[in-house]
Amino acid sequence: MSFTRETYKVILKIAIFSVLDAMALWASLTLYSHHAYKLLVILLVGTVLLNIVFLSRKAYPLRYIIPGTLFMLCLVVYPLLYTAYISFTNYGTGHILNKEQSIEQITGRYYLPEGARTFKYSAYADENREKFILLLKDSEGNLFLARDDKMEPVSLADKSLVDKDADGEIDEVYGYTRLSRKEIFRNLSALQKLEYEYHENIVKMKNFALFAELRKQYKYFPAEDKIVDLKTGKEYFARHGYFVAEDGENLLPGFMIKLGWENYKTLLTDDRVSKPFIRVFIWTFEFALLSVLTTFALGLFLAILLNDPRLRFRTLYRTILILPYAIPGFISILVWRGLFDTEVGVINEILQFIFGSGLPWLQDAFWAKFAILVVNLWLGYPYMMLICLGALQSIPGELYEAAAIDGASGWQRFKFITLPMLLVSVAPLLISSFAYNFNNFLIIYLFNRGRPPIPGAQTPAGATDILISYTYRLSFESGQGSDFGLASAVTILIFIITAVITWFNFRYTGALEDVKENV
Amino acid sequence: MRRLMIVVLSLALLVGMTGLAFASEEGKLLIWADEIRAKVLQEVKEEFEEEYGISVEIQELAFGDIRDNLGVSGPTGEGPDILVGAHDWLGQLVHDGLIAPIDLTGLKDQFYDVSLKAFTWGEDVYSVPYCMESIGLFYNKDIVPEPPKTWEELVKIVEEVTDPASETYGFILPQPDPYHTFPIMSATGGYVFGYTEDGEMDCFDIGLNNQGAVTGLELLDSLAQKDLLPFVDYNTMMSLFKNGQAAMMITGPWAFTDLKKAGVNFGFTKIPSIDGQTPKPFVGVQGFMISAFSENMMLAQAFLTEFVATEKTMAKLYELDGRPPVFKPVADKVSSDPLIAGVLASAADGLPMPNIPEMASVWQAWSDALELVLTQKQDAKSALDNAVGHIYKTLAKEKAGN
Repeated sequence: MSFTRETYKVILKIAIFSVLDAMALWASLTLYSHHAYKLLVILLVGTVLLNIVFLSRKAYPLRYIIPGTLFMLCLVVYPLLYTAYISFTNYGTGHILNKEQSIEQITGRYYLPEGARTFKYSAYADENREKFILLLKDSEGNLFLARDDKMEPVSLADKSLVDKDADGEIDEVYGYTRLSRKEIFRNLSALQKLEYEYHENIVKMKNFALFAELRKQYKYFPAEDKIVDLKTGKEYFARHGYFVAEDGENLLPGFMIKLGWENYKTLLTDDRVSKPFIRVFIWTFEFALLSVLTTFALGLFLAILLNDPRLRFRTLYRTILILPYAIPGFISILVWRGLFDTEVGVINEILQFIFGSGLPWLQDAFWAKFAILVVNLWLGYPYMMLICLGALQSIPGELYEAAAIDGASGWQRFKFITLPMLLVSVAPLLISSFAYNFNNFLIIYLFNRGRPPIPGAQTPAGATDILISYTYRLSFESGQGSDFGLASAVTILIFIITAVITWFNFRYTGALEDVKENV
Repeated sequence: MRRLMIVVLSLALLVGMTGLAFASEEGKLLIWADEIRAKVLQEVKEEFEEEYGISVEIQELAFGDIRDNLGVSGPTGEGPDILVGAHDWLGQLVHDGLIAPIDLTGLKDQFYDVSLKAFTWGEDVYSVPYCMESIGLFYNKDIVPEPPKTWEELVKIVEEVTDPASETYGFILPQPDPYHTFPIMSATGGYVFGYTEDGEMDCFDIGLNNQGAVTGLELLDSLAQKDLLPFVDYNTMMSLFKNGQAAMMITGPWAFTDLKKAGVNFGFTKIPSIDGQTPKPFVGVQGFMISAFSENMMLAQAFLTEFVATEKTMAKLYELDGRPPVFKPVADKVSSDPLIAGVLASAADGLPMPNIPEMASVWQAWSDALELVLTQKQDAKSALDNAVGHIYKTLAKEKAGN
């Protein structure tokens, strides 16, 4: 029997899908055991879809869309929806758990009532180590037998207590055998669950060596949505994600609640946000625009140079010029930060040598902005150079020939042929580069953390903070640490702003229409 | 054929799954530790496993990631039983309901008091601490044979040694950095949060712009004004000191290993007194905590109290890390080391770094103020006033939200 290529393909396909399906099944079991039903449904639907699309001949055309669409749903749409959901909650420090978890933790607390006794214990277990009996001894030497939720005084003379080797230690109780220290350790997680009622108290494990008389400290009343401290009688009502008493005392931990539009209202009314907003917004805009312009200008200039056939060693130059693109941004940004250091940086040393004094690169608002643009130029020009190199190839040579015959100068050829022809294909990329820089958190944060601060400012926004880095500050470096709810609200707002700007750009430049005409 | 394969594969995976440790599981310990602690625990764990037949799994995470990941993994039941962490996380972790108190009955007097206090919230202790740290004065013995005892002596040395032209400095500290600047502001009476009458931290009593804090910052500023205090960040400071270009610097014991490796002949001592008053650095404590979502609370506790809080393990933790132990039996043995003695002396004067989550709103505003003052853009009084104003504002927002 000989296999054709077609058969191999089918076998390969089946093999790949078997593995994929098996992985999906495995993952769905895990999701099921964690009660993550929404994700489970998404996973199953996605897997079934993929199977249908790739195994059925009828669905052949869908093959080109479905995988990409699924990835877009998982990596773009789902995070976006989840962010939107979080922005309507108070998720953040103190509000990580849901209400049930919070109540469970609070009501699971015990206290030692006054005069409470502690007990040393021996544990006895059945053969399967599933049921336990305890022999407890208080500090006065009184013995108690604890089994089936109950605890009763017992005397050594009791017939059910058997001391086989007569060493004073009971070895067997009701046929249960005594656990060694080692076995107690092994069964600690079962033993810690044991609870015995004794008068008004509960006898429970306090640490691995002791049991103690304890009392539950809190009780939850669902009807009034309150928790009562049984020790003091104090009442705590659920408010704003905490159980709060009249005097303002919170029970910890708090819980996550839905806030409605509150985070958005905060953004619009809080003067920490509204006051510096215009200034930060303008700099964000400047930063994004100047970054695109400078990187594009340099990239285009280098591309035109490299495109000139008269230039020797072009490949070598091209390789060297692309290098900044190959180095991870967070490394080169930190290196640049060192170069710009006011005291010991190389740049200031050179300036000092030539002019006799350096510049406050990181401490002065203007120079810090300048330095950031220089660094971003370094990081960004190779990308622009690459796309320009590609786009230059696509400009027909006849145009230049015709221009040469008409006697156009070099500058005229660039202005009337190269640039317009180039922009047709490059404009959409420039717009996406603008959108990217609009949210370029990495360079702002790593280079100078949005500093320098502004003297006497009413808000903590620094001079080089852009919208995204400033809101990071507001959400994670103020209040009690992290406020994911507020951060998400800001993210949604920035998303809308970026979307509007991008849409406007596309409309205004007509970039997409031109591309269509050329296709 | 395809169906058969799926069945076979998924069965195989199902069987395999039972052996995988996903999360805190009954009767098994999962520990999250940073690189150094993971190494030590790896050694202790075998002994424990052998003796009790309980399996212990150690997952290595970057120190800071432990806190961040706990907030996500803990509540879904995928977190560890035991984790390593710093005491200033405590407030946040308790607010989030992520960690559980530890019963240290009978063990408390084995630890330095300050280390347990740092890990106390309300009436409960939440950790078995293993080391503490506190910043002090590093001096290059080749340049400064005898460290200064008073601020005036320090200034004198600085004036002699500093020569910006050849990039040689008498005294440096990372800037703008509240943590490293605090001792100088606290010596003269500055503090972060005051205390209420019942001894609880009061986040509405901020002492960062009182007369003492201003005086301390002005002292530093007067050095900066005379071009005697360069504005450098931590990394630049370290490389200057390593190259012998700095006579003195302020930082903590984590730098010991690095400096020894670089072959610097250095000493570590208390920061010189200011106007006869002692600088009070922040004391930081690190320890083991137990997740509130552990299925094995008692087992985790027993592991910590019986196996970690022992001379053997604590000594190993000290050996690999180099920061002073807080477990007295070990600390007593190593305090003859002059470096450790220096840190212990410095910590003895110190204040535990506030462990309440409100600290988050303090660092940024404070550090902005330091930068404005030390780069001569604003005077100490108005910059600190402004910073404290910001802090109150964010805290008031927080309070109003409740």
